[in-house]
Amino acid sequence: MLNVTKTVENGQGTISLEGRLDTMSAPELELIVRDTIPGLTALTLDFEKLDYISSAGLRVLLSAQKQMNHQGSMTLTNVNPAILEIFEVTGFTDILTIA
Amino acid sequence: MILPIKGRIDSANAAQVEQALQSQIAGQTDLVLDAQDLEYISSAGLRVILRIRKEHPELRIVNVNSEVYEILDMTGFTEMMTVEKAYRVVSIAGAEEIGHGANGTIYRIDKDNVVKVYNNPEALKDIQHEREVAKLALILGIPTAISYDVVKVGDSYGSVFELLNARSFAKILANEPEKLDWCVAEFAKMLRLIHGTEVPAGKLPDMRERALDWASFMKDYLPEDAAQKLYALVAAVPHDDHMLHGDYHTKNLELQNDEVLLIDMDTLSVGNPIFELGSMYNAFLGFSELDHSIVRKYQGFDRELSATFWQKSLAAYLGTSCPTKIREVEDKARVIGYTRLIRRAIRRDGLQTETGRAEIAHWKGELLELLRSTDTLLFDRNELEIEAVRENLEEVLAFLGERLEAADCTPKARMQLELAVEEIFINIASYAYNPDTGKATVRIEVSGDPLHVTITFIDRGVPYDPLAKADPDLSASAQERTVGGLGIFLTKKLMDDVVYEYRGGRNILTLKKNLE
Repeated sequence: MLNVTKTVENGQGTISLEGRLDTMSAPELELIVRDTIPGLTALTLDFEKLDYISSAGLRVLLSAQKQMNHQGSMTLTNVNPAILEIFEVTGFTDILTIA
Repeated sequence: MILPIKGRIDSANAAQVEQALQSQIAGQTDLVLDAQDLEYISSAGLRVILRIRKEHPELRIVNVNSEVYEILDMTGFTEMMTVEKAYRVVSIAGAEEIGHGANGTIYRIDKDNVVKVYNNPEALKDIQHEREVAKLALILGIPTAISYDVVKVGDSYGSVFELLNARSFAKILANEPEKLDWCVAEFAKMLRLIHGTEVPAGKLPDMRERALDWASFMKDYLPEDAAQKLYALVAAVPHDDHMLHGDYHTKNLELQNDEVLLIDMDTLSVGNPIFELGSMYNAFLGFSELDHSIVRKYQGFDRELSATFWQKSLAAYLGTSCPTKIREVEDKARVIGYTRLIRRAIRRDGLQTETGRAEIAHWKGELLELLRSTDTLLFDRNELEIEAVRENLEEVLAFLGERLEAADCTPKARMQLELAVEEIFINIASYAYNPDTGKATVRIEVSGDPLHVTITFIDRGVPYDPLAKADPDLSASAQERTVGGLGIFLTKKLMDDVVYEYRGGRNILTLKKNLE
């Protein structure tokens, strides 16, 4: 189960995730990101309430990062230690900006 | 009417032979040609047979030697009509007995071959049956030996198997006690393989039907309420399409070179594994409860080892080391076991002898006590068999959650286990049966000292070793990176051990993670 809330103001977008970002929910986030990104100069993904991520979730993050590299910046906030370890193991800490 | 055909039949004498035959068969029925002394038959001879068959469609040829059989086989005659081979005669004088099953005894006739001699002198049908079910089992991925010849042994029939350098588990256990744990592991592994094998409908008898017959039989020998409860317990076991061996003990598992083979396949059936465990309990313990020496006679080792082997195998099969749980399943097995033992003894006039009466009274006492405390014959094997489709991920994760409940594991370890299960299950769902779908079995064992989880995924899809794939390049920039292979890579990193094997037409991937 994944709950997504988003706010966009002056080219600054925030997407907050709650629950699990897995094979079943990743396509939903992918669609939201695709709708939100055009025109953004900064995107913040708030992971405070995200408990779980699998490779399907990483795939969405990577494609969002690739796109934001062309038009601005992307930052992940409030990443919990278990998810941070997934980023470390996969080398995502080198390509994502984690605040 | 049986008519001999002799010598050589070719264009030189075919007309003559035909005339001789035709003069004798007019108006006869059930015509059989006995080819015992037939050395050769040419196409002219075959045409004679074709013409006779036109008037006598029931025509059979028996006692055909292998050269003539080959001709009849090549020309399609063996498919068109009944052609029975002559049976080679084999002697078992001085041959070592290597196995003893429900329907026959197995002897080693030379270094490479064994013969199974059937108890029933009218065994040709049984032999045919065993060959068919052994072939079926082999196709379904059970390593077994299939007989290549049918022979005569005295007045009985036998089937011959190639079994090189093979030793039964009974023999290994009796002579090499240090191999106990290895034998237990292989014995349990094979049992899980059998019970994890789904059999197409109608190919094998249904053990549940038989068990209902046993339960009905007991009505005359048990108090009414006990008999009713026994019947209700068996009736409540759902139909199951998975394979049962039916006579699974240490003499029916052979180690041939490095391969473990299952033999004595004539009792194959389908049903819930509790029926198998019932007859296994009997072989290891039930039979010999009053007379402990019986074990040595049947298995070649003493009852103490038999008890140890049974306990350890059951623990390995169930994937638990919890004594209470093992005991619970054993008690359910004993309900089935004693029912079979009592019925068998009574049908063999056990009530007419003192020993028989003592045994029956003992088994009955045990059964009655068990019936008071047994509410179901179903048990849990820590296994989930499920259609490998993405939509079932949630159910697989719920199964994992259930198994982990007792394990007291940290949220982080739990997340990593969930991640590994998701990655592997989704992989199977996406690729194993593409574009069709099929089943996956997920087995989860939590065991102790140090506490660890073992998760096994089994599918029958295309052979695929996920570990063979190269790890992704972690140093690449975001623009260069792709996400392919990340799931497997994560699984390898987050688990302590990942092992892949392809066996019996199955992909078997085992993950291990320490929880301490």
